[in-house]
This record gives sequence, structure tokens and C-alpha cells, in this order.
Amino acid sequence: MADLLSGQLLIAALVLAGIYGLVALGLNLIYGTMRLLNVAHGEILMLGGYLAYWCFTLTGVGPIWSMFLALVLAGGFGAVVYRTLCRRVLRSARLIEQIEANSLLVLFGVSIILQNAIALSFTATARAYPYLDDIVRIGGFQVTADRLVVLGIGLALCFAVILFFRFSGTGLAIRALIEQPDAAHLVGVDVERMRTIAFALGFGIAGVAGCLISMLEQVSPFMGFPFTIAAFIVIILGGLGNIAGGLAGAAVLALIEVYGVALTSASMRSILIYGVFIAILVWRPQGLFGRRSVVR
Amino acid sequence: MKKLLTAIAAALAGSIAAEAAEPVKIGFSESKTGLFAQAATSQYQSYNLWREQVNAAGGLDVAGTRRMVEFVSYDDQSNPGKAVQIYEKLITDDKVDLLLAPWGTSLHLAIAGVIERYKFPVVGNTAASVQLRKLKAGNIWFPTSLFPDRQSEVLAALLKDRGVSSAALVTNQLPYTQENKSFVVPALKKAGIELVLNEDYPPDVKDLTALLNKVKNAKPDAVLAYTYPADAVLYMKGAREIGLDQQTQVVLLGPQYDFFGKIFGPARNGILTMGHWTPARKDWPSARAFADAFKARWKTDPDFLDAPLAYVSAEILQQAVARAGLDKDRLRETVAGTTFATINGPVRFEGVMNVALPTMISQIQGGTQHIVWPPRERTAEAIAKPAWK
Repeated sequence: MADLLSGQLLIAALVLAGIYGLVALGLNLIYGTMRLLNVAHGEILMLGGYLAYWCFTLTGVGPIWSMFLALVLAGGFGAVVYRTLCRRVLRSARLIEQIEANSLLVLFGVSIILQNAIALSFTATARAYPYLDDIVRIGGFQVTADRLVVLGIGLALCFAVILFFRFSGTGLAIRALIEQPDAAHLVGVDVERMRTIAFALGFGIAGVAGCLISMLEQVSPFMGFPFTIAAFIVIILGGLGNIAGGLAGAAVLALIEVYGVALTSASMRSILIYGVFIAILVWRPQGLFGRRSVVR
Repeated sequence: MKKLLTAIAAALAGSIAAEAAEPVKIGFSESKTGLFAQAATSQYQSYNLWREQVNAAGGLDVAGTRRMVEFVSYDDQSNPGKAVQIYEKLITDDKVDLLLAPWGTSLHLAIAGVIERYKFPVVGNTAASVQLRKLKAGNIWFPTSLFPDRQSEVLAALLKDRGVSSAALVTNQLPYTQENKSFVVPALKKAGIELVLNEDYPPDVKDLTALLNKVKNAKPDAVLAYTYPADAVLYMKGAREIGLDQQTQVVLLGPQYDFFGKIFGPARNGILTMGHWTPARKDWPSARAFADAFKARWKTDPDFLDAPLAYVSAEILQQAVARAGLDKDRLRETVAGTTFATINGPVRFEGVMNVALPTMISQIQGGTQHIVWPPRERTAEAIAKPAWK
């Protein structure tokens, strides 16, 4: 029982929450603004992981620096995907349900293409590199430096995004688009521009998340899918389209994963996670922190 | 003079005929995409390395005639059903001369029916399940010795020899690790080793801190982490972080792969793992040559499991074809009744099993993998795992 109060478990839960929060953030942004189900989200993360790997292996540049490159490149790729593919989906679909279904199919195709393009280019062999793997002792527990860095950057980025949505003009316009798309258009929000920015930001954050995760685990063309699933669970827990709720959802998922295992058994992990997930879908379908008006 | 010209003409005609000989078509399905894609890469790399080496040496010796090797392969998407269709197509439509194996136990089991129906011999490689022994002997063989029942007994003997009296076992819920668990639990009991913790974890786990804390609190002499490669990384990082200082730690799947060394470097020294191949064996002279050729071709070290096994299966096929040609009945008899020289030592089949290769346990030492058990097979003595670096 004393273990439950140990810093070791707390830091593990926080790091995991940081990863889940960051991974879910980009997905939530794209779903929130456009109702596009980006099932290729994990593959963008995978591209970020490969970028970090190659930058480190070929030039010695660590992921702390290459993540800026990932933000720009993945963001640019997001803008291109939006302009070439997703805008058509939005234009051709009249109902929200159609947007979700059509985007799911289109972006599923994108995810398969990306997985196979990377597998063909670099083979499916897992790749990894050591980075900031010194042990740091804090009080009575110890943690590897890379996990602390992931936690720090993950949380900083999450809060930066929240501040961006609260205080910047562009952020407010995107929020308006999330909450009242028609009204936002009427009051002069440049819908196309905001959607492109939201899409680019969503992809860019996924790219950064991939860079950070590459410090903790090996990268491979097929590493993205479990993260896509985790991100969907997080944003459904927190409320679809609710950015701050997504972070809370990430914390809930991480707490269940770490403390649930500590209290019960590791084999219970999936049962606990999906049990809570289903319970929330049944009793609070708008998510823990979502409002009914958000999900239409 | 006339005789000389005739002789030259005959020689030229012969050489042209040899050059014009049809290539030998060898078919197989690859798990290029899907669940096994990551693991299956080294099999594909070994197959291709072998093909390139054979062709560079003038072609495959088909009962005395040299013929170039050509591959016909399709992506099975890691799907056993798809693999069955592909092998059927390779045999009936592509009319390949020979077959190589797909990746993994489930795909080997899946294609067993097709090759039995067409009586088409296939030397398997990357499959090791007790279930495989139930397959009808005749058209499929398995060169590995890493079958979970025997592996568990050998591991228990090693642990006992190292003075281990208690162990903690954490197991991924995937088939191969679960099968190993089902055999190692009774094997430990039989060896008088108390199991102080025995927990499973799901394959999509992202953090093992809580579980490893329980292991630490249980204070076992040895930790057995029955991992797949992805969660082996989580185990190693977590064990190092919380300071699991047991001198006997077994990590089942993961340490054999190149990426593992890149992440952990010297920190993986002393980790025990499964494997029956190492380039360090002096009595397998071609093992080192294979490792060097693989590295030169693919710019990465071969893993210690699938890459050598895939190559071994191709070597067996090559030697059998040199004796028997492409006739399926003769080929079957030759594979079943010959002792082959391979990079993993001699191979001789009884039924579907290779009886020339004992089951072994390996350990990472000095950046490479050594065989440490049983004593008569070892390339190095087992060491106590040093403190984490």
C-alpha cells in the first residue's frame, strides 16, 4: 500500500499522462474543428519518430531540437493533406455523420499508404537510439532523464496550446469554429484558413509527440496504431472536441493504467481501461468534461 | 583443325545452353505488412542475402546444373488465410520450383495443409510451438530447437545451477510467451524454485512501473520477463529505473534484435535470453561469415533468431536440391534423410524436428550473444548480471 503513495508510481502516471495528452491533443483539434476522424494520427506520430531517429543517427541532433523540425514538416504535411483531401470530404458531405464516415475512410487510406511507404523506404525493422538515459534521483525514487524531458515538454506543449486557444486571435477563432461553426462564419472568421491552421497544428503536434516518444521506445512503420487507439479513448473520455477535457482524459487513462495495475494485477489493465471507457460511453456519452452541445 | 573447331562449337553451345537455363523459381509469402511485419524483416533479408550469394556464385546447383535463382513472393499481410491462398497460387498458378517458408508459427501451421495436399516439401524456419510437433511428418520440417517445453526445462536447469531458489515471472499475454509460461511454471516447481510472483500483462501495455514495483517488493532471486520485443524495452527501462538488481534476469524476446543493443548498449550485458545461434561458435565456421555478410548487405547486424533460422532453411534447401534436383519426391526423401551443414551447425531431421541441435539458453555478454547453457554447447560461461549502468 505504501507503494501507492510512492513518487515512483506518481511520476510514471504523470509521464504517461503527458504522452497520452500530447498524442490526443492533435487528434482532438482536428475532430473538434472539422469532425474529421483522423485515423492516420498515429502514422504522423510515427513519421515524427523516424525524423527524430534519422536526425539523431545521421547528424547527432537530438529530439529536443528535431521536434521543431517535426512541428514544421508535419504541420506542412497536414496543410497539404487538408487542402488536397480533407477539404473535398468537407465539401461533399452534407451531414456530420457523413463527414465522419468519409474522413475515416480517406484517412485510413492515408495511414496505410504512410505505413507502407515507410516500410518500403526503411524496411519494417525497429529502430532506436539512446538519448538522455541517465538516471535522475529525486527524493526517494529515481527516474530516467528522458522520461522527465518527455513529461516537461509534453505538459508545456499542452498548456501552450490551451493558452493559444484562450488568448490568441487565431486560437479564439478556431474555438469559435469548434463551438459554433455557422456563427463563426457569419461573424467573419475565415473558416478555410482556420481549418488549415487547425489541421496543420494537429499534425504538427503529432509529429512532436512522435519525436518525444522515440526517446522512450523503438520506432517502426507500424508503431502508430496503438497510439491512435489510445488517443481516441482519451478524447472520448474527456469529451470530443474539448481540448482541456482531453488532457483530463489523458490523466484519467494514465492513472487507471498505473494505479489500477498497482491495486489489482497487470492482466487487469485492459479490462480496467475499457471498462471505464464503456461506462463513460453509457452514462456520460458526451465525455467526462464534454457538453452535450459539442457532440451533435 | 576440324575436330578442334567442332569441340569449340560444342563447348560454346554447352555454355550458351547453361546460360539460357531457366531460372529456378522459388516462392514464398512475406509478412510485409500487418502484425508480423516488423519481426519478419530479417527473414526476408536472409532469403535475399542467400539468393544474391547463390547467384553471384554462378547459380543454384540443381543436381549438377547451375541455374539462377528467382524469387516469386507476395505480401500475406500477416494473415494466415492469405498465406494459404498465396502458397496455393505459388504452386498451381506461378508453378514455382521450390518454396521457402512464411514467417511465424501461425503461418507455418496455416500452410501445412496446402503443402501436404500438393506434396510440396518446405523447410520451415521461424516457428517454434509444441503444436508444430503434431503436424504430419512428410513435407514440412523445423530446424529450431526453441520449443517452449524443452526451453523451459533447460532454463530451469540453468537457474538451479546458478543457485536460484525463487523467481518472479511476468508474461505478455501473446501466444508464444503464454505457451512458454505454461511450461516454465511446472518446470520451475520441479526444479524446486519457488514462484513468488506470476502476473500477465497485455501486449499494448505502455508502462510497467507498477508491475515491476511488485516484482521488486517480492524480492525474488531471479526475474523472468516473458516479453515480446516492444515490451522488452519497457521492461529494461523500468527495471533499470526502479533498480531491479537481481543478478539473474531473463528477457525472452527482444535482446536478440539489433535495435535492443542500440538502445541499451552495455546495460543489457548479463541479460539471459532464448537463442541457439551465435557467430562466436568456433565449430560453426560459416556463422561468422554469415553475420559479416548480413551486416555488409543490410547495414545492420542480424538478429540472433530469425535471420539465422531463415538462412539455415535456405541452406538446407540448397544442399538438398544439389543432391536431389527439383523432383518433389526425391527432395522430400533427401531433406528427411540427410545431415546438412549450416551456419547453425549440423541439421538432421527426425519427423518434423531437428534432432542435431540441442535446446540452449543465451546471454548478452560484451555486446554480443553467447550460448551459456548447456555447458557442452556454450561459447561463454554464464555471468551474474552486473549492476545497471
